[in-house]
Amino acid sequence: MEYWFGSIDGSGVCRPADGGAPELLARVRSLATDMRVFHPLTEEVIEGCGIFSDRREYIRRLREVTILHSREVIADAAQEKDAELLQMVRMLDQMDEVINLLTERLVEWYQVTDPSFSSKSRKGAGRRILPRITKSRSPPLRGVAREIEELGEARKRLATEVSRRAGGVIPNMSELVGGLVAARIMARAGGLTSLARMPGSSVQVLGAEAALFSHIRQGSPSPKHGLIFQHRRVHNAPREVRGQVARILAGKLAIAARIDFYRGSLDPDFVADAQARIDAAAGGVQ
Amino acid sequence: MIRIDGNLVSPGPGGVYNERMAKGYRVWDPYRSKLSALCMLDPKIDLTADMRVLYLGAANGTTVSHVADYVDVVYAVEFAPRPLRDLLAVSEKRKNIVPIAGDATRPDRYAPFVEMVDLLYQDVAQPDQAGILIKHIPFLKAGGTAILMLKTRSVDIRQTPEAVFAETITRLTDSGLRVVTSCWLEPYHHDHAAIVCVVDPAGMS
Repeated sequence: MEYWFGSIDGSGVCRPADGGAPELLARVRSLATDMRVFHPLTEEVIEGCGIFSDRREYIRRLREVTILHSREVIADAAQEKDAELLQMVRMLDQMDEVINLLTERLVEWYQVTDPSFSSKSRKGAGRRILPRITKSRSPPLRGVAREIEELGEARKRLATEVSRRAGGVIPNMSELVGGLVAARIMARAGGLTSLARMPGSSVQVLGAEAALFSHIRQGSPSPKHGLIFQHRRVHNAPREVRGQVARILAGKLAIAARIDFYRGSLDPDFVADAQARIDAAAGGVQ
Repeated sequence: MIRIDGNLVSPGPGGVYNERMAKGYRVWDPYRSKLSALCMLDPKIDLTADMRVLYLGAANGTTVSHVADYVDVVYAVEFAPRPLRDLLAVSEKRKNIVPIAGDATRPDRYAPFVEMVDLLYQDVAQPDQAGILIKHIPFLKAGGTAILMLKTRSVDIRQTPEAVFAETITRLTDSGLRVVTSCWLEPYHHDHAAIVCVVDPAGMS
């Protein structure tokens, strides 16, 4: 029977393995334990071996190995090339939320300082009146408005960087739907590893979890699209075929994710075929 | 187990996760920890100084830290790298926690590290929670206890929590475990059940 510190044969003779924590860890990793015949360690076996002076020493040495293992697992996860992209996308979406919230509050404030302004008559979204607010008569209001504008600039730079990096980390997906949407889909799936194992039907409703679960539980209509709605060929498609386009696109995205995960390089033939298929569906009814 | 003014507490240095202190003891909040909730609901549950514990789904190590305050050693298994970082930080201060980076659905990968235990505690958000517990029966000493914190929502959201609960009990019983007690963790946690079982010598083939 093989254990982390060595092996014990049928007659109870114990043979310790050589080396320190790194060697012991490498050895455990190479073991193929069959749980059907495995006997876990017992106090008697550990003591009978006589390798460790006492129980404290046993736990101390064991911890050296398992802590080393844990640190390696953590380091490997951080090194995966999608790890930083994932954080960047989440930050981007959070920044959007924060900027919108702050702008809303800012407009409320501005209304008090400018009696001729009405939020009803304003043209466009809140962000477009920001330049006007930065020229307000109230200095603290101007200051905050400028900070929000700065935040908007930082958001823009981050978005550009996300698209650029997505082109490297998930080239095929980025080519199909653009870096930003591709990165968002990957982030929602929890990373490229899990996305590559997802069926197309799951990719289709990523980001529409609330609707999906209410469909499963209460039988409300199933969602046609989640995050992939953000892609122009889905939201620009005529209503009748939108679900169909979403389904086909999701299927192709699932394939693209697998190419990105297992091969990691752009496949122009695949992308060209996929684009043609999606365009055909999107233009099918006109 | 130690209780102060109706609160469950554990002895040990505080400051693991901003927990409240009471008379030098760490308050173990039943609304945060499912094991604490179970101890509040079922006074028969006990952690003693000679116990060895295999803890599946250790997460950030908050509940693990309280268990470690009471017992001899905790083998704490966690799969996800992010919470594993926090678990390592907790293990720095508590030398009787053995952190293990491992997937509870594959005990063969970490079996060489783990010894026979008195208590098997499982709190994982996985669909096949009964299956995971059954895979770990070989690590239970004769007379040992297994506690399954059943997250019914993780098993199947299409079924009612009650149906998932009943099905889990059947599977555990069929695998040679005898259910000692089981209860819902209301009012502390919703749709979570605790199932306490022992290895049934008569049921083993």
